[in-house]
Amino acid sequence: MESSIKSGRGRKYTNGEITVYWKSESCIHASYCYRELIEVFDPSRRPWVDMYGATTAEIIRTVNMCPTDALTWKWNDEEKNRDVDPSHTNHVNFRRPELLKDETEAQSEPVSVRVMPQGPLIISGTFTLKYDNKIKEVEESAVSLCRCGASSRIPFCDGNHRKSDFKDD
Amino acid sequence: MEEKKARLKPQAEIEVIPEGPIRIKGNIILSDVRRDIFESPEGEIYLCRCGRSKNKPYCDGSHEK
Repeated sequence: MESSIKSGRGRKYTNGEITVYWKSESCIHASYCYRELIEVFDPSRRPWVDMYGATTAEIIRTVNMCPTDALTWKWNDEEKNRDVDPSHTNHVNFRRPELLKDETEAQSEPVSVRVMPQGPLIISGTFTLKYDNKIKEVEESAVSLCRCGASSRIPFCDGNHRKSDFKDD
Repeated sequence: MEEKKARLKPQAEIEVIPEGPIRIKGNIILSDVRRDIFESPEGEIYLCRCGRSKNKPYCDGSHEK
């Protein structure tokens, strides 16, 4: 089983019972994690977190020592996250509450819909595109859709907005 | 054993409505630097693709005129 999934908010690792989140930009190298539990947290290894290197209780104890929100954790069983003792300092409830409802988001990034000034609509990510009775599955890619009505490849942009008198106001 | 990459789940549905706007529904982030928009809309949104809306980037029904 793949136990590490890349997410837009750093990385996450699971042993099926808990999920540990790693946010590298918050790390101040206090080094509690690998001094306490090198079996799980080994900076020289890739991936550096091995969720099967120790028990869940040992991992929780160690993650709670992290002085920043670089390492946080939560139960995979949502119910158990509702009433967590504050002594679990690095439970996501206390450090990164936005990760409580992480499930769908971490699997796939949200689709980015960008309105380009005086230009097209750029949609990127993983989504379904319906047009002209066609259905296109776009996976980790992008399309550029006409916003001015002057394209000769509608619904896609062909750059004609530069020649038309499109006023993006 | 070769590991097969799982297909990613579509996060949104984009529909180009014939003679109409672009309908977008799902897990999205809409951004428009010109109008200072950066948000994850709830429900569905309709974006102008005829260039005539007075409420860009959204559709205001102007394409019917």
